[in-house]
Amino acid sequence: MKKVLYLIPIVLFTLISVLPFYVIIMMATHSTAEIFSGLVIKPGNYFLENMKTIFINKFQYCYLNSVIVSVVSTVVSVLISALTGFALSKYRFKLKKFFFLFILATMMIPGQIGMIGYVMEMKAMALSNTLMPLILVWCSNAFGVFFMTQFIGETVPDEVIESARLDGCGEFGIFTRIVLPFSKPAMATLATLIFLWSWNNFLLPLVTVYNKELYTIPLGIQALQNTYVVDFGARGAGLAFAVVPILILFCLGSKNFIKGLTAGAVKG
Amino acid sequence: MAERKFIGFANYINIFTNNPFFWRSIWNTALFMIGYIPLIIILGLLLAVVLFNIPQCKRLFQTLNLLPYITTPVAIGIIFSFIFDWSNGLLNRLLIAFHVIPDGVNWLGIGTLARIVVILLIFWRNLGYYLMIYLAGLTGIPAELNEAAIVDGASKPQIFFHITLPFLRPITLFLVVTSIIGGFQLFDEPYLLFSGGMASNGLQIVGGPDRACLTTVWYFFDTAFHSTTKLGLGSAISYGLFMVILVFSIFSLKIFTGKEER
Repeated sequence: MKKVLYLIPIVLFTLISVLPFYVIIMMATHSTAEIFSGLVIKPGNYFLENMKTIFINKFQYCYLNSVIVSVVSTVVSVLISALTGFALSKYRFKLKKFFFLFILATMMIPGQIGMIGYVMEMKAMALSNTLMPLILVWCSNAFGVFFMTQFIGETVPDEVIESARLDGCGEFGIFTRIVLPFSKPAMATLATLIFLWSWNNFLLPLVTVYNKELYTIPLGIQALQNTYVVDFGARGAGLAFAVVPILILFCLGSKNFIKGLTAGAVKG
Repeated sequence: MAERKFIGFANYINIFTNNPFFWRSIWNTALFMIGYIPLIIILGLLLAVVLFNIPQCKRLFQTLNLLPYITTPVAIGIIFSFIFDWSNGLLNRLLIAFHVIPDGVNWLGIGTLARIVVILLIFWRNLGYYLMIYLAGLTGIPAELNEAAIVDGASKPQIFFHITLPFLRPITLFLVVTSIIGGFQLFDEPYLLFSGGMASNGLQIVGGPDRACLTTVWYFFDTAFHSTTKLGLGSAISYGLFMVILVFSIFSLKIFTGKEER
């Protein structure tokens, strides 16, 4: 009986969390006239029509761009972070402490500070209006380096590295055969976070990408609002199409996601 | 780009002394934070304690409550503009249907109300995150400690105030500091909230009604890339923002560590 009492507030807030998504999905299945004529509570049968409308406008390309950007960013960023983390935790070299502190310091600086410089840099390298700026920005990920340095330093035993070296394993071999397998859980966590961050990134694509064919999902959502000013069914369908698959993916892998999201907070 | 001229610290002097919008945007974001941080911390903690006691449904509710946090912020701004729109928004229609109000309220057109909507939006988006972090923190409290307290005859509120809260202090500190840093960088949600409304004609008011919801990053974006292309002033704004963030983070760290010494 007491448990049921406990459940009430939780269920209430969960409903509030989920309700807006329900509204969007219902909007997606109705025509604009139906949306305006009353409250839409039950699913309608206009979903395919709405989808057709947004597909004419090539909204699906945003998906492709977002997938390319997020997957490449994640892979590159995790690899570079792991390599840097390996160097900073297991090698001794001049100025090591300085580099580590410098990377830590850049972690504290909000991203907008570098943005104007970054945009100009991309222009100078003739990379503006491509997808490259959206990927390159993750190559120097201070949080990733910090995270991997901590993890590799704590979990990869020096003895294993030493014995591999004695057995004639090269330095890169040590990285691929010993460090990478040891740090799999940390890499999975980091990959989850970077994927989420690059997928949701809005401000940077807004100032570096002008070409409609290169729009990522957040830009695509925004463009949809301006294209279908009066067609609310289509706008709802676009939102649902952009948001729901990711949410389903999240629900399927929620265990890993939650582990990733809490990793930084509870430890630090 | 036009010819360059060295102007020293003129841009910085401008934003800190006679630029009304810079301080206004800092004030707006600070207001948002005052509005949501204390409340979301209390509620997140309470919900986490409640959910901690029903381990059977922990994962399910944790996942469902995190959905807003995972969602693209751009989409959240638009979803909220659908709900709070003046003429066709869901909320107004519901309120009218149940005869709570005779006419629709212009939620997004009046400064104070628009601010409340933004606060609600941040609250809605982040509650699941706070819940999740606190849940993880609760799992970290050794069970023997609670058991020993029960053996010694401590009541439930006593356990909460003397064991749970002190144990969670570092987590609360983390949440407050990251909320301040993240809160000052708010942009996506308010930017979309005032551009995608149902009655919108594609025109967007920078900063919402009366610029009541102009955040610093929005002002930065608008100055450097959107309405004007004043890159110099934009850079000054971003550095000014950094300084403000730094001051506030150090300030909140001081408050918390000061408490610990007592």
